[in-house]
Amino acid sequence: MLTRLTLYIAYSIKTSEWHRRNKTFCYDLLENPKSKIKPYFDIFMITLVMSSVFILIHEVKNESNLWSIYFENFVVSVFLCEYLLRGWIYSDIHHIIIQHHENTKYLGQPFSLKKVTQQILKSKLSYIFSPSAIIDLLAILPSYRPLRILRVFLIFRLFKLLRYSQSIQMFTGILKSKQFELTTLAIFMGFLIFIASTAIYIFEHQSTGGQIDTLYDAFYWAIVTISTVGYGDITPLSTGGRLVTSALIISGLGVLAFFTSIIVTAFSEKMTEFQQERVKATIEKSKDSIILCGFGRVGQEIAQQLFENKKSFIVIDPDKQHADLAVQKGYIVLNEDASKNSTLLHAGINHGAKTILCVTGDDVINIYITLTSRHLNADINIISRANRDDNVKKLYQAGANHIVQPFSIAGLLASEHIGQPVAFDAIHGILHHQKDGQIDALPILAKSFLDGITIEQAQLTQYKTGLLGVISNNPSHAKRRNRYKLRNQHFYFNPEPNFILNEGDILVLLGRQLSIEYLQSLIEKSHLSARKEAL
Amino acid sequence: MSHNTTAIFGYNSLSYELITQLIKKQISIIILDSDSAKIDLAKKNDLTAYQLDYRQDDDLIEIGIGSTLNTLFCFLEHDSENVFLTLSARSLDKNLNIISLVNHPESAEKLLAAGANRIIDPYEICSNKVYQLLTKPHLTWLLDHVVFGRADLNMAEITIPENSILDKTSTQNLCIHEKYNLFLIGVVDKELGEKLYFALGEQDHMLDVGDILVILGAHRDIKHFKKEIGIID
Repeated sequence: MLTRLTLYIAYSIKTSEWHRRNKTFCYDLLENPKSKIKPYFDIFMITLVMSSVFILIHEVKNESNLWSIYFENFVVSVFLCEYLLRGWIYSDIHHIIIQHHENTKYLGQPFSLKKVTQQILKSKLSYIFSPSAIIDLLAILPSYRPLRILRVFLIFRLFKLLRYSQSIQMFTGILKSKQFELTTLAIFMGFLIFIASTAIYIFEHQSTGGQIDTLYDAFYWAIVTISTVGYGDITPLSTGGRLVTSALIISGLGVLAFFTSIIVTAFSEKMTEFQQERVKATIEKSKDSIILCGFGRVGQEIAQQLFENKKSFIVIDPDKQHADLAVQKGYIVLNEDASKNSTLLHAGINHGAKTILCVTGDDVINIYITLTSRHLNADINIISRANRDDNVKKLYQAGANHIVQPFSIAGLLASEHIGQPVAFDAIHGILHHQKDGQIDALPILAKSFLDGITIEQAQLTQYKTGLLGVISNNPSHAKRRNRYKLRNQHFYFNPEPNFILNEGDILVLLGRQLSIEYLQSLIEKSHLSARKEAL
Repeated sequence: MSHNTTAIFGYNSLSYELITQLIKKQISIIILDSDSAKIDLAKKNDLTAYQLDYRQDDDLIEIGIGSTLNTLFCFLEHDSENVFLTLSARSLDKNLNIISLVNHPESAEKLLAAGANRIIDPYEICSNKVYQLLTKPHLTWLLDHVVFGRADLNMAEITIPENSILDKTSTQNLCIHEKYNLFLIGVVDKELGEKLYFALGEQDHMLDVGDILVILGAHRDIKHFKKEIGIID
């Protein structure tokens, strides 16, 4: 009868949506490192711990008042709830019951309630005896009146902070990774202290004229000496005692050096790992980012511009020197090979990234990265560099959207210098985005002051800009002269004064950076105010 | 060799496009390189090419620096080589037009100090272009076609000849836009020096003989304009 009831309850809990939802919520709140609410909960708990410890410190010299008692009760009940909830989500009781039931059914054996209870107790006990749960419990217990003597354990509340801070968790992780070395050291130190305290007890006991009274005194003296602190409250007087002291001080220096070196090497071993983890976490959060493969001369220039314009981007370069340089400049860097699928996936090719730039100096690598990226993500925008003319076609075949040829542009530009040096200067200036004259494209936003008026009415010359042309896909302009095909739109060079501008058209203007930015802000303002009115 | 020969130092991937463009413009060029294999390759492609050690001044004089050469392109692979060549050529001919490639930004100043008239940094241009592709893809397409004349649109510079109808006209009254269907990019007003002023309506320039207009437009419109002002018949 009891067995059937237990099984009934276990199965109904398993199917209960309410139970599942609440358990997931508690898991997100307390344990799930990726959940959004956990950081808030952690901050709340840290505040509670800190304020309760502050009150404890205050009460050392002052009388406690009513409010602090209320607060203490509140804190303890929060801690208690947390302790129980953690115990609850540590393991699933119904799961153990069901598992056992299914196993016994399969093997054809009777269902034993005793065995199940044992298993449940075992799993819950393993929670109770886990170090963090012990600390939690020690932080709660001293508040229970009959156990007032344990007040000193309130200090354990500070240890509770371990749970809520990542960097402290990192530190404990490092200590754990050096468990073997630290244990060896602890055994050695224990041995040393044991020998030293016994020896000093024998040499310096009060009966032989020394200052040591009990074995505890000897132990205390050994600790003070081995740590090279040496308060001097107990000093050896006999020759034997002094010999023991000298030996202990020297070995104490060795122990300290050993301990420091263990911690330092552990840190340096783990540091790169933690840095990579951190980089990956940052990448996961970034949206609309740009993946920059290759941090050579071109990559560095592009990164500089992206950084100055506050765009989010990730640098990938397998070369250690390049990667170090990028780290120095404060960029997010993956020191890995971009032609591997895993690297591009880490960089977020399938989440967050919208463009990949392949700008290494080697066409073979550029083609390979392009192909890999296109294979991983069919929609991503790929811009690739081609150093040789012959490779342009291959890059398009591999799936690049745009191709840039540095030497080809340089050649074209240089050839322009013969016969037309002034035009060369103009082009050079425009290509370098000079402040006193640049060509820029401004889209016309819906309901902005330029939407629906003619070029004559727009009076663009009053903003000290020259209108080179308009990019538009409006079919009403189809019969105009000076039409040049531009992908799925048309570029209208030198449009006539009666050319009507519409939403979505793009003005191509020549002007100073200042005037172009001013005009852009006017368009945006009028667009926003029109939208507000419409609302 | 005529007096307006152009010499290109370095036959490599860097100079390939330049050579193609210059041949298209029917400019007489000679290719120079210290590597005999590259010279053989150039000869195979029907180019005038000589093997030459750029370190020897005598050799440089022999190919016409100081006499028949008027433009020198330094397209060698290392900045140090380009600086050395620029320095040697400049000391032989004060008026030679020297254009050099630069690989590292810190070499730019050295090349200018050595006497180069113009320097071109392919990597900087490339990265600018990539950035532009990211932020303004439309514009990049347009510049590609307009600036490098891949479409019918072209940039041209026009020096105002003597007895032209444009002599003593102000840029505001030029009406180049309506009359000739051209776009005026900028003006070099010789009274104010050699600087190019972009035509942004900031200041009015009185055009004189020798001033230079930089215009943009379709090929036939530019030709028509040249005819009108008396550059070509």
